Amino acid sequence: MTFTLRPAAVLLSLCLAAVTATACSGGPDAGPAGSGGTGTCDPADVTLVGQVRNESNPYEASWLDGGDAFAASVGLQQQRLTYDGESTKQQEQIRQLLASGRTECMVLNVLPNGDSDTTPIVRAADAAGAYLVTQWNKPAELQPADYDRWISHITYDGVESGQQIAGSLFEAMGGSGGVIALQGVLDTAAAKDRFAGLEAALAANPGITLLDQQSANFSRAEALTVTETLLTKHGDAVKGIWAANDDMALGALQALEQAGRAGEVAVVGIDAVPDALTAIGESKMTATVSSDGPWQGGIGLAIGYCVATGELDMAQVAAEQRAFYAEQFLITEDNVADFQDPRTDAADFECANVFNRMAGPLT
Amino acid sequence: MSIGAAGPLIALAVVVVVFAALNPQFRTLGNVANILDAAAVLAVVTCGTTFVLLLGSIDLSAAGVMAASSLTVALLVENTRNDADYGVLGILVAVLLGAALGGLSGLLLVLLKVPSFMTTLGVSAVGLGIATLLFAGVQPGVVDAGLRGWATGRFLGFTHLTWIAAACVLVGWVVQRHTRLGRYAMAIGGAEEVLALSGVRVAPYKVAVFTMAGAFYGLGAVMVTSQLGSGVVQAGADYSFSAITAAVVGGTLLVGGRGGVLHSTVGVLLLTVLANGLVLVGVSPYVQGGVQGLIVVVAVAAAAAPLRHRNQVVK
Repeated sequence: MTFTLRPAAVLLSLCLAAVTATACSGGPDAGPAGSGGTGTCDPADVTLVGQVRNESNPYEASWLDGGDAFAASVGLQQQRLTYDGESTKQQEQIRQLLASGRTECMVLNVLPNGDSDTTPIVRAADAAGAYLVTQWNKPAELQPADYDRWISHITYDGVESGQQIAGSLFEAMGGSGGVIALQGVLDTAAAKDRFAGLEAALAANPGITLLDQQSANFSRAEALTVTETLLTKHGDAVKGIWAANDDMALGALQALEQAGRAGEVAVVGIDAVPDALTAIGESKMTATVSSDGPWQGGIGLAIGYCVATGELDMAQVAAEQRAFYAEQFLITEDNVADFQDPRTDAADFECANVFNRMAGPLT
Repeated sequence: MSIGAAGPLIALAVVVVVFAALNPQFRTLGNVANILDAAAVLAVVTCGTTFVLLLGSIDLSAAGVMAASSLTVALLVENTRNDADYGVLGILVAVLLGAALGGLSGLLLVLLKVPSFMTTLGVSAVGLGIATLLFAGVQPGVVDAGLRGWATGRFLGFTHLTWIAAACVLVGWVVQRHTRLGRYAMAIGGAEEVLALSGVRVAPYKVAVFTMAGAFYGLGAVMVTSQLGSGVVQAGADYSFSAITAAVVGGTLLVGGRGGVLHSTVGVLLLTVLANGLVLVGVSPYVQGGVQGLIVVVAVAAAAAPLRHRNQVVK
């Protein structure tokens, strides 16, 4: 009997050790009891946390770097968290953070894994009194205005970006010809909105025909195969490729190169990943759209920091600033040089400016 | 070849004939070259997975091993991140890294008696960790003309990747049929106890099989890197499961000891032809996944029909 018990005991103590270890590594300096109440934190007592899916893609890595840049500008450190795109892991990290006890002056800038993951994060942060800014994903009916500590939700208008790149694409094609569309994961809002943008642009440009649309699940490798097949199917009729993100656009570029048609077909994407910017600089790709990852990483922490320290009064944060579309940037060969080296501008993070990039209220 | 083994091959033939009848573009030589090119990486990865399945083990490490090898090769050949320019040596190191990670799975399996399901999942996480460290926020683009040529260059109308895959399948088949390693892998999957009781030390062969599988994943990663033009952490994301699916569809059974490299390759071709044909025929992307799954299930069921025994228990 004792034999069967022993491994269980070892396992249990290991788990306990792991839990205590992670819970203890909460923040740098403890600070004398954060005293609670909105906006009374000593700037030195604020803990900053940035959480994204993983650091293995340039966009999310640059997001965390932007958070570091902001943290350094106020003499603090950002705790970098990644959850490997696993919803349960994200929730667990949030639980452990909030269990550390010093939550009254904690600022969280979170990229929820999916819409439904936002609800428990918001509830937990609000209950613990931690300041929270979320980005990209939230269920439509969940509103920051209904919570005290969930300051803002920031996202981007996918319809607009889908339309913007379509505009550049059609212009590069001279206003006529056939295009193929590479869609993202079909049941995501990003894929739906971006494609709706393309459809709107197609309606306004009767000279352009949509030859085919396929999903390549936002993946470079899938886009490569799908594009090869579509090039076989439509041959020389293909004059342009619209991709719902840059990874797929880059996959399509590879397919064009392998088919010996590089340079004959215009390609556009969204996200402004470094490889895409390079391709635009070399005139291989036509356009992309940037949400400015480093700014996203910094701005959530900046908003939270400003409110936590009292520099920004929650009462003065307007209703439309609680959930809004942020400005995004169309990048073409003309302005690509300005985006090659992503960095943050300290002026964007000053408390008077944190809502300057609001493009419109989230409806 | 028995009737049972011919099942997937018949399914493949039927699918090819149906698509060829429905769509004239499907029949073109260019499209055949396309399909073989699209199947190349999966074929190489599946070669590795097949040997592990023959043992009766399972291997979920392809995703992580390929991530590590992809970043490694991209950083060792001429690239946009550093001054390295080791060419073929870099490719060799990436394949060896794959082999080492595969060997690690095997050692954990035989030394610690941890089931392969867990060891390979763990090793996959290790590989992803290595890849993320190497990635360090900036994608390394491949500049090396030799490696880029793997995907773009053609010989007799087929890409170099296709020829590499064909060579791998041939090597896999030779190992399976004509070496002690291949025959023992089959025997271990069929009746490990009998083999052990007759005085064969099975552990070294198991480690060797996992090592060889890792080497195949490493090579597959180099091929993906050539295709995508840069080292990508997600390079192998879908390959673990695609390879197992292809192997099983082709007739390599999960219980071990049955099937082989050629069976699995038929499975790879069946999946690739389906993906290609459904796009060419014009099936809406919203239902493609479902249709593909349905056809695979029907094909496997039809192919396995002759194998069914009365009183057989399926778990």
